[in-house]
Amino acid sequence: MKNKYKPYVMLIPVMIVILGIFINGLIMAFIQSLGYFKAIGLTEITFKYYKEVLTSQGFLSSLGFSVYIATISSVIAVVLGVILAYSILRSTHRKGIEEAVYKIPIFVPHIVAALLAYNILAQSGVVPRVLYSIGIIKDQSQFPSLLYDKNGIGIIIAYIWKGIPFVAMVVYTILSNINNKLSQVALNLGANNRQVFFYILLPFIMPSIFSSFIIIFAFSFGAYELPFLLGPTSPKALPVKAYVEYTNSNLANRPYAMVINMILTIVSLILVWLYNKSFELISKYNR
Amino acid sequence: MKVKQSKLFSLIMYIIIFLLVLPLIIIIIWSVAKSWPWPSIFPNAIGLRGWKYFFKPTSKSIIILLHSVYLSMIVTIITLIITIPAAKALALYNFKGKKIVELLIIAPLIVSPVAVAMGIHLFFIKLGLSNTFIGVVLVHLVPCIPYSVKILKNVFEITGESMEMQSRVLGASKLQTFKHVTLPIISPGLVSAGSLVFTVSFSQYFLTFLIGGGRVVTFPMVMFPFVQSGDRMMASVYSIVFIFTTLACMYIMEKITKKYYKTEGYFYIN
Repeated sequence: MKNKYKPYVMLIPVMIVILGIFINGLIMAFIQSLGYFKAIGLTEITFKYYKEVLTSQGFLSSLGFSVYIATISSVIAVVLGVILAYSILRSTHRKGIEEAVYKIPIFVPHIVAALLAYNILAQSGVVPRVLYSIGIIKDQSQFPSLLYDKNGIGIIIAYIWKGIPFVAMVVYTILSNINNKLSQVALNLGANNRQVFFYILLPFIMPSIFSSFIIIFAFSFGAYELPFLLGPTSPKALPVKAYVEYTNSNLANRPYAMVINMILTIVSLILVWLYNKSFELISKYNR
Repeated sequence: MKVKQSKLFSLIMYIIIFLLVLPLIIIIIWSVAKSWPWPSIFPNAIGLRGWKYFFKPTSKSIIILLHSVYLSMIVTIITLIITIPAAKALALYNFKGKKIVELLIIAPLIVSPVAVAMGIHLFFIKLGLSNTFIGVVLVHLVPCIPYSVKILKNVFEITGESMEMQSRVLGASKLQTFKHVTLPIISPGLVSAGSLVFTVSFSQYFLTFLIGGGRVVTFPMVMFPFVQSGDRMMASVYSIVFIFTTLACMYIMEKITKKYYKTEGYFYIN
């Protein structure tokens, strides 16, 4: 009975940080988003800022831009990541240097990923140089500007580059632990490799595919660096827009920044809920 | 048929890995390119100007790099110390509110750090924590905790508690048990968690920049302007140093742990 409180005591240090900084930060942002900002004399609670932000065209296009970038980059990264993991599993070589090398982008920060995208896709980058040398384009300006544009190609490619190894690592860990006998039995009973993949392997890896999708989606939706470095001036991604409002010299603008932050948070909370669901799926499969 | 297929998958694997590694090779070339005008595929002249600038004492790059490593090491150590008991509690015990605690711990991985940082900024200013080293360390803990708990929890789920129980039954004190039984058992997990936490902290830009207010200068912060202005040579030099430092720190962490416990590091992540 004396052990009843033991787990709680063990959790105290971590929870101090989580509640004291993380949750506290979100609550502070929420209070300020309601227009309560004592330092400059705003003490009236109001939904006025929400109304204004949610109906402004600039905000809506930013929201659309962020959702677009996060969706496209995460879907492509997940598909290619699963293909990479499955290819490593099926390839002739095992446990070679390849298995370590593909993980490198996981440890490369997003600022460097921005530089890589810039090196390759800018109008003076490697891709237009190669296209020029084989005669497909005749001038630098014929290469479409993929950076700082409304399609966000540069941002998307940088996120995909970071995402593929992450997904592949997570999925490969599961794939290599699935009992090989299951596939063997199915093959013996006349299934082809495609059927083995879709009916045996895919159900096993589905929950982790889903949870890694949520993680990279949430990251690309809520991160500041890449859209700031590679994105267009308009529309700005939501985190960039929030920061611009935040640094506005007029402090009365703060609530607008906090409303954007709250919308970022609400979307993230939905993702947390979905993430949690994916783990319920995992335990269902393991039963 | 089987051989042919596995060759095909090898090919796909090599193509994807090649595309992942190619950009890294390009920055190595850029870091030593003296002149690389359009439309040459290779630089016209090779030079070490970027590297010379980096190693010149007046650029202070090395001091900032060491300072940055020091900060992230402190973050890593604190994160590991506070997450070991938390991960153990979540892995081995059932208690009321466990689900909520798990969700709260995993949430910083998903909720935008931009929102959290701006929200907590005013609070940190009031407490005198903004623009300080301690403030930056504290705010770095938030994105690091979920990774560490996730990995260590997995380790505790696999290893269980029976070895520690035996040690206690045989008369070892709590401290002895922790030092001679628990730590060696979880050491591979500690290496994985430590490496990942170090990387997460070492790569932070926005949190450091907002809470540190420009007073706490870390490596990503000196690198940022070079990337922003499109100075490819300098940005490439800094990027290579960055990646190399991360890999070196991970390698050292693994070596030290191996020396003490003779085990290997793995990623326990899913």
